[in-house]
Amino acid sequence: MSLIKELFGASPFGPLVEHTKKVHECVKQIQPLLDALLKGDHEEIHRLQDEVSRLEYEADKIKHEIRQQLPRRYFLPVGRDELENFLRCQDRIADSVQDFAVILFIRKTEVHPALRDDFTEFVGQVMKVSNTLTAAAVELQNLAETSFGGEEATSVLDRIAGLGEQEWGADRMQRRLSRKIYGIEKELDPVTIMFYDKMLQTLSRVANEAENTGDLLRAMILKG
Amino acid sequence: MGCLVIIVLTAVLGLYMAWNIGANDVANSMGCAVGSRSVSIRWAVILAGICEFAGAVLVGAHVTDTVRKGIVDPARIASLPGLGEGEAAALVLVGMAASLLAAAIWLNAATWMGMPVSTSHAIVGAIAGFGIIAAGWSAVDWSKMGQIVASWFLSPLAGGVLGYTVFKVISKLILGRKRPVPAAITITPFVVFFLMVVVTLAITYKGLSHLTGEHAKWITGNGAFLVAAAVGLVSALVSKALIRRALRGKEDLPLPEQLELVERVFAPLVVVTSCAVAFSHGANDVANAVGPLAAIVDIASSCTVKMRVFVPAWVLVLGGSGIVLGLATYGYRVMHTVGSKITQITPSRGVAASVAATVTVLICTRMKLPVSTTHTLVGAILGIGLARGFGAVNRRVTRDIFESWFITVPAAAIMTMLLFMLGKAFLLEHVRQALCQSMPAGG
Repeated sequence: MSLIKELFGASPFGPLVEHTKKVHECVKQIQPLLDALLKGDHEEIHRLQDEVSRLEYEADKIKHEIRQQLPRRYFLPVGRDELENFLRCQDRIADSVQDFAVILFIRKTEVHPALRDDFTEFVGQVMKVSNTLTAAAVELQNLAETSFGGEEATSVLDRIAGLGEQEWGADRMQRRLSRKIYGIEKELDPVTIMFYDKMLQTLSRVANEAENTGDLLRAMILKG
Repeated sequence: MGCLVIIVLTAVLGLYMAWNIGANDVANSMGCAVGSRSVSIRWAVILAGICEFAGAVLVGAHVTDTVRKGIVDPARIASLPGLGEGEAAALVLVGMAASLLAAAIWLNAATWMGMPVSTSHAIVGAIAGFGIIAAGWSAVDWSKMGQIVASWFLSPLAGGVLGYTVFKVISKLILGRKRPVPAAITITPFVVFFLMVVVTLAITYKGLSHLTGEHAKWITGNGAFLVAAAVGLVSALVSKALIRRALRGKEDLPLPEQLELVERVFAPLVVVTSCAVAFSHGANDVANAVGPLAAIVDIASSCTVKMRVFVPAWVLVLGGSGIVLGLATYGYRVMHTVGSKITQITPSRGVAASVAATVTVLICTRMKLPVSTTHTLVGAILGIGLARGFGAVNRRVTRDIFESWFITVPAAAIMTMLLFMLGKAFLLEHVRQALCQSMPAGG
């Protein structure tokens, strides 16, 4: 029996990067979903919702695999809790995208012309937040290569430094959009208002979870 | 005639032990190169064979000396009351043979049971067992035993500290930089220098006597440092030239690409450093196979318990050949299996681990202490893990290391005691007579 053979478990960082990319695939569907919504193309929304559902499921599978491959007897370069929280939080991003897609799917909601530009701008900002996170999180394997230190770590930390501000921007846009909605509430039916609200909540959650994930990524780098 | 039979028998056993070492242990030595896919298995086997043999022949005498007379000093047995010298010689002969046989049996039993095997621990336990049962507690040199046991704790620890340090150097000074490529060109030669100085010194300084006898005094004395420095310098400069050529023009690529390039450049380096591990392994472990043989050869040829000053070179050659044989016939498969499980050892990590293991094992070898190269390597890898160098390292290996100590040593000792008692009962008279036949009258 060779001691050396038993020495290593599977590194989680490859699968973590895969998870990040899969979640990003999910988030990328938000833009086409919005476009379909604005066009009123409900078939396209149906197709996209299926796609998001599939991607979210695949992300879940990767998540389970990561958890399975790391029994307690392996010690890791990052805190096990930090890693678990990061994974869970990033997974919630995909969940929120899924929720958004479902809301668009279950009811044919029309976007009032006065709100179209603000919706587009809000979605753009949410995407920006998520893209910033993704650009940082895909570096996890390179971070492992440099043992979570040195120039690579500094560069990743820089990348997520702006995350908080971008998420705040998304929050502000959401509030503005909400005010506008209630400003024209007389022209809208109550159920539509309800669904606008749901859409904003889920999109806002995407940005929130992306920012939280970024925070946990920072913790993984600094604390491990 | 009788003596020849005994020598041949022990030589065969020694060869068998050596074969085992080659078949099972060497895979670990080349692990860093094989795991990081820096070398094909075939080349790993070839290079390992050359380096193990070289280590055994060039530096193997030191630990062999310990095994043949450092744990149980035959002279001490002779000085015990109630023993004629012929009897003492016969006792030691039987005992050494029993030790070797016991260690070989234990090796097979443990492998079959799937337990950790360390040939160093087995042979030390076996010989201590023989000493105790043959002539009581005082037959064993307990201060030497204490040193040996201490080295079993300290070698993985030292490997860990060195592994941590070397990896931190590579990590901070090369991989962590904004531009790893120029950093690699600058820093790597220092690592090469360090390694080559240690290896050269291990060979030359107060060494080589078993090969050169009384000649070459300068190289084995203070000249050794100059030679080592020269070898180190030349190696460093050659490595710098080669690295610079491989990385020319790549200084300003984006960081991830530079990291990849540096790893690629480390691939040939980790092959070199793994060869150094194989060298140090051969130097330390050949004693486990031929230490008893060395003792028996001396006793049988002189019919006294007095050991010659130098370990006979042909004994080391025999051991080295056995290792190469085991490696060539069975080691291929083991290397393949081991290599597929340790792919987390990338070249940069492999360099750190193998440099740490080589230096530690060579220092222990020169201090004449038999240590487990595998444990030292594991220690180095754990040290690198602590420096956040690996993705997931198995904590439980430390338990396996402890198991090896607390199971192998007593098991080998007990088995030796049994075999020795059998041997004493049935063979002792024959052996004594065989020895006395070739003794001068009145001896």
